Amino acid sequence: MAAPGSPVSDWKYDIIQQIHHRNRVESASFKPVFDAYGKLFEFSDSLKAQNTQLNLYVEKLKEENVRLQVSGGTGGSSASDPRAQERIATLEQKLYKLQEELTEMHRRKGENAQQLIDMKNALQEKERLLADRERRIQDQDATIYGMKLAIKQSEAAVLELERTNQLIKDEQQALHIAYCSMEEKFRKMANENEDLIQRWLRHKADEVERMNIETENQNRMRQRSLQRDIIEAAKDPVAVNLERLLGHDDVPMMPVCCVVIPSTAQRKFEAHDAEVNAIRWSPSGRFFATGGGDRKVKLWEPSPSGAEPECRGVLTGSNAAVMAVEFDPGETLIAGASSDFAARVWTLNDQRLRHTLTGHSGKVMACKFFSSSHRVVSGSHDRTLKIWDLRSRACIQTIFAGSSCNDLVCYGSQNIISAHFDKKIRYWDSRSENAVNELLLYGKITSLDMSPDSLYLLACARDDTVKLIDIRNNQVTVTLCADNFKVGCDWTRAVFSPDGQYAMAGSNDGTLYVWNLKTGQHDNVEKTLKEHTTTITSCSWHPQGNQLLSCDKNKKVVLWSDM
Amino acid sequence: MSDDREILRELWNGQVPVHFVLSSDETSNMEAPQPYFVLVPRQTYFPLCLDKVNRHFQKYTTQTAAGQEIWLDFDGTPLRMHYPVGVLFDLFAHDALLPWTITVHYSAFPEDELIHLASRDAMESYFMSTLKEADALKHKVTIVSTMQKKDHKQLWTGLLNDRFDQFWAINRKLMEVSSENPYFRYIPFRVYQADKSFIQKLVKPVDEEGRRQTLADLLLQVFPDHQNRKVVIQGVKMSPQTPLQWLSEHFSYPDNFIHICVHEK
Repeated sequence: MAAPGSPVSDWKYDIIQQIHHRNRVESASFKPVFDAYGKLFEFSDSLKAQNTQLNLYVEKLKEENVRLQVSGGTGGSSASDPRAQERIATLEQKLYKLQEELTEMHRRKGENAQQLIDMKNALQEKERLLADRERRIQDQDATIYGMKLAIKQSEAAVLELERTNQLIKDEQQALHIAYCSMEEKFRKMANENEDLIQRWLRHKADEVERMNIETENQNRMRQRSLQRDIIEAAKDPVAVNLERLLGHDDVPMMPVCCVVIPSTAQRKFEAHDAEVNAIRWSPSGRFFATGGGDRKVKLWEPSPSGAEPECRGVLTGSNAAVMAVEFDPGETLIAGASSDFAARVWTLNDQRLRHTLTGHSGKVMACKFFSSSHRVVSGSHDRTLKIWDLRSRACIQTIFAGSSCNDLVCYGSQNIISAHFDKKIRYWDSRSENAVNELLLYGKITSLDMSPDSLYLLACARDDTVKLIDIRNNQVTVTLCADNFKVGCDWTRAVFSPDGQYAMAGSNDGTLYVWNLKTGQHDNVEKTLKEHTTTITSCSWHPQGNQLLSCDKNKKVVLWSDM
Repeated sequence: MSDDREILRELWNGQVPVHFVLSSDETSNMEAPQPYFVLVPRQTYFPLCLDKVNRHFQKYTTQTAAGQEIWLDFDGTPLRMHYPVGVLFDLFAHDALLPWTITVHYSAFPEDELIHLASRDAMESYFMSTLKEADALKHKVTIVSTMQKKDHKQLWTGLLNDRFDQFWAINRKLMEVSSENPYFRYIPFRVYQADKSFIQKLVKPVDEEGRRQTLADLLLQVFPDHQNRKVVIQGVKMSPQTPLQWLSEHFSYPDNFIHICVHEK
């Protein structure tokens, strides 16, 4: 290598420098740009080529597509192409399969249609069955409904029967109690009897002794009196009747005028706001009293001109329906029996409540003044009779009757006759605890009335008859009945006429029947009076015998009079 | 000498930026043709590097131009493509703005100015013949004819593929001088001037007295009028004192000629 400085190295060096400069100017400065350009150019070229290729490919594909469409359209006209042929073959196979499926489907459709028809038939059958069933169900429902009704009715009947049963049981119990007490008494009596028999046997010997002497005397006396009687009888035979009449101090005064049965309803009016249970003329016949379901007792005075009776007073104080009313013989007091388990006494003058007699445990059905105006006897559904003293305002005696009492009458100063639910009439003496006598009839007894001569009883019973009973022998003498006579309730009252010749009672259908007691058993209906429309509960005969009163369950009172 | 080796390599590496545009006569009416830029090695020939250019511009040409031979011009002057690229550049575009804009033509081939050299085989045979001519001038016994066919091929492919080592492995033999005869018989050279054909004379590297001839002596023989001229070889403004023998060994183009471009001052 020649050192710089030598002439040879100088020009070489200069040349190298020039070459370097040349390369720098001509190529080095352009190289990166041109390299990049070349790359970009190639890239763009390749992209272009790719693009063209892709375009070409697209075209080809389009062409092929068209061709395929054409071949598809013409249905395999280009059979030359094996691929198309293959495809056609597969397509044909598919077509064949589809056709087979179609046939299968048709067949199934046919089957389904058949099934559908069968099902429809079955459905109709079922519907017919269903309708049939429904009809039967309806029928059965109707039957069930009917049966339910029947059950209800039966239940009601059962209830009724149970109630009756209860009542009878209670009565049985009461009877049992009575029986026990009586047994006790019986034992006492037996002891007493024993004692008495002892004494009696002792006395017997004495008596026999005495009797022998007595008989001796009597024979002698009879001889004498017979002789005297025969002499007197020959003298005056007329005085006997009068003597007999005068001998009865119990019999009230016979009415002055004779009994006339009125045939027209003079007045018909509404007396109470509810049913009228009791009606009674005053002993003088100037007033009459009514007792109603509206808890009131009303006093009425019939107008002499025949106009509507005027209400003279309303006696209040009762807390339930008034079942019976009764005047005292002196016409100063009025007694009422009420369903509120009490009997009440009002004074007529000032119309004030004087006494409320409580102590019964059932509704009081009857109350009567007894022997004088200061005693009252009441009969109740609690199966007892009570005797009250108005001066001391206390119950002085309770009689265990053994059955519900519907009505009672008093006669004499001590005797009471009561009518009972158990179809019996019982006779009582207030001095003893036990029934003196009793009479069994054929129906529940609803009322009692005493004939004016105190020899006969009139008893109304639920077997739709009215019995005339001779008290002396305790026997039914006449049975009064009529075709349409029906006793409407447990407190239907039958009454004697003031002369005792007739009996009167109201029927269920609103007809008032009047029987003649003297004509005998048959065809003894004297008269029927029809004005009421519902059950007649009570009736009363005017003391003078020419006017009648009747009342019904529909608030009405009818005054019958021909005047 | 490593310096000389470096010079050889640097010379080989010389490249020219070229901006190819299609002549407006050639374009079809579709769209304006895109220009094409490429760095072209100085040592090579245009026909060897126009493939891409040709392919690029073919797209834009009219139907009639398609398939016709490509030719180039610069600033109205048709370029002789059998000259190395470096020579054409030094000759026409030495002072022009870079990159070197070349117009591409397909039609109206200037038959009277250019020869048909478009095919690569034609270029190869021209190259080989030039090489042999230079060899004949340099050595008494021609080295090229003693070489095998594959050596010839290696030279050509070395040039074609821009392989310095491959080329010089063979070319070295052509440049060698023996110690008893350290000079070539004659210096193979051509002097180019714009719009004139080149001048070629027999010049010895040493005179009768044994003095080494320089570039100045050569120019004196070519231009006896002593006019001051600018001399460019391989793009290098060459000092007149450069010895001819060295110049021939190192500054020759691949065809073993020194192509000297001379510009009037």
